[in-house]
Amino acid sequence: MSRIIATSKRSGYIALAIALVIQTGLISIQASRRIDTSFVRAWILDSLAPMEKLVDRSFLGVAYVWDNYFVLIGLHKENDQLKAQLNDLRMKYDRQEEDLAEDQRLRGMLSMRDTITGRTVVARVVGRDPTRSNATVTIDKGLSHGVKPDSAVMTADGIVGRVIHSSNFFSIVQLIIDAQSAVGVMERSTRKQAILRGNGGHDLDLEYTDDDTDMKEGDVFVTSGLDRIYPKGLPVGAIGSVRPRKGAALFNTIVVRPSGDIGRLEEVICIVDPPETVDVFDPTRPTAP
Amino acid sequence: MARITSLGIVGRLAVVLVASVITQGILALKLRVFGYFDLPLICSVYYGFVLGNPIASIVIGSSVGLMQDSLSGAALGSNGFSKTLIGFVAASAGAKFNVDQAITRVFALFLFSIGDGLLVSILGLMAGRGSATNSSDVGNWLLSATFNTLLGLALFGYHDRWSDATT
Repeated sequence: MSRIIATSKRSGYIALAIALVIQTGLISIQASRRIDTSFVRAWILDSLAPMEKLVDRSFLGVAYVWDNYFVLIGLHKENDQLKAQLNDLRMKYDRQEEDLAEDQRLRGMLSMRDTITGRTVVARVVGRDPTRSNATVTIDKGLSHGVKPDSAVMTADGIVGRVIHSSNFFSIVQLIIDAQSAVGVMERSTRKQAILRGNGGHDLDLEYTDDDTDMKEGDVFVTSGLDRIYPKGLPVGAIGSVRPRKGAALFNTIVVRPSGDIGRLEEVICIVDPPETVDVFDPTRPTAP
Repeated sequence: MARITSLGIVGRLAVVLVASVITQGILALKLRVFGYFDLPLICSVYYGFVLGNPIASIVIGSSVGLMQDSLSGAALGSNGFSKTLIGFVAASAGAKFNVDQAITRVFALFLFSIGDGLLVSILGLMAGRGSATNSSDVGNWLLSATFNTLLGLALFGYHDRWSDATT
């Protein structure tokens, strides 16, 4: 009996070792970028994200039925035909209100699309990062729609992030508030350049600027285009607070609030074919004859 | 017949695990506070306790962690590593301690949540996808651990009652 227990214990440790070695191998392969592991992620993403989209749509459907029917059941008991008609009208009104709100959102997006030269795709947000370690969302457009890693993602209010992983039909978007995100920006009126880095919360930290002495609350930053991900001139955010530098610090602590409502993303625009707005020397590019 | 039954159990388990990952993603999108919960972690701990089988718990932890990694921007394998280890430890603890007691569950869920946050951060840093941990991260881990403990206790209790009723 004790031999059986010892054998099962040993096989447990062996299984643990194998599993941990596989996971560590996956991590180290990604860190060294020796082998492309994106197919593993793409495969799992393509398998899970449709279910996520289905659940998301079901949520919307249930919410709609709940808001427009079940909540009103209590009233129906006393209602005559007139009240039923009123109810019907209210349902239609609610639906039209929702349509109107969506219409306004999409109009905003369309007007923004007009200002961006290059090809764009509108995508729906179907999920959020199931872990708390990253600020990412899942959208329902992927490689088959032209959305690929490093495609810029925005709303009518401004940029919200960039695509970091794409499968055929879905993509993962790293939001600009993610601690790993950095956006090349410039102040709209003075054209001073800087980097906006996500602080892992709801805001962005201003870094690497030459001179921040005259920056004040409300100053607006737009993309500089130098990072070659976001086209030049798109709104990013405005200064929310400026704290004077302390001690040996070189710069003030400047916190920027994103212009897009990142906490309530529903539809986003992906720039799949960005315009060449910035002429940056790239030594890897072949020169024209 | 026994084979069909075990296939059914595995299928049901797979559905629960996939559902936990998807529900987590959807709820975090709809309700911000749900970002602090970690349903896949609770599932890994729960099945570790209930099954008491280290190999099954390793498989459960690995698959649920890889699914989480794929739906997030995290390094592929970071949650997989962490959940694998947690599943194994939970299964080993399930065989040694009385995990039916609320106090044991509270301790285990809280410690596993903290351990998960710590491991995923360290592995993210190793893969070059993390950022240095600061005091707000620690606060988030504590908050997340508290939420996971409370939800885990409720779900475990609910499942206990359901199991008692069906047996």
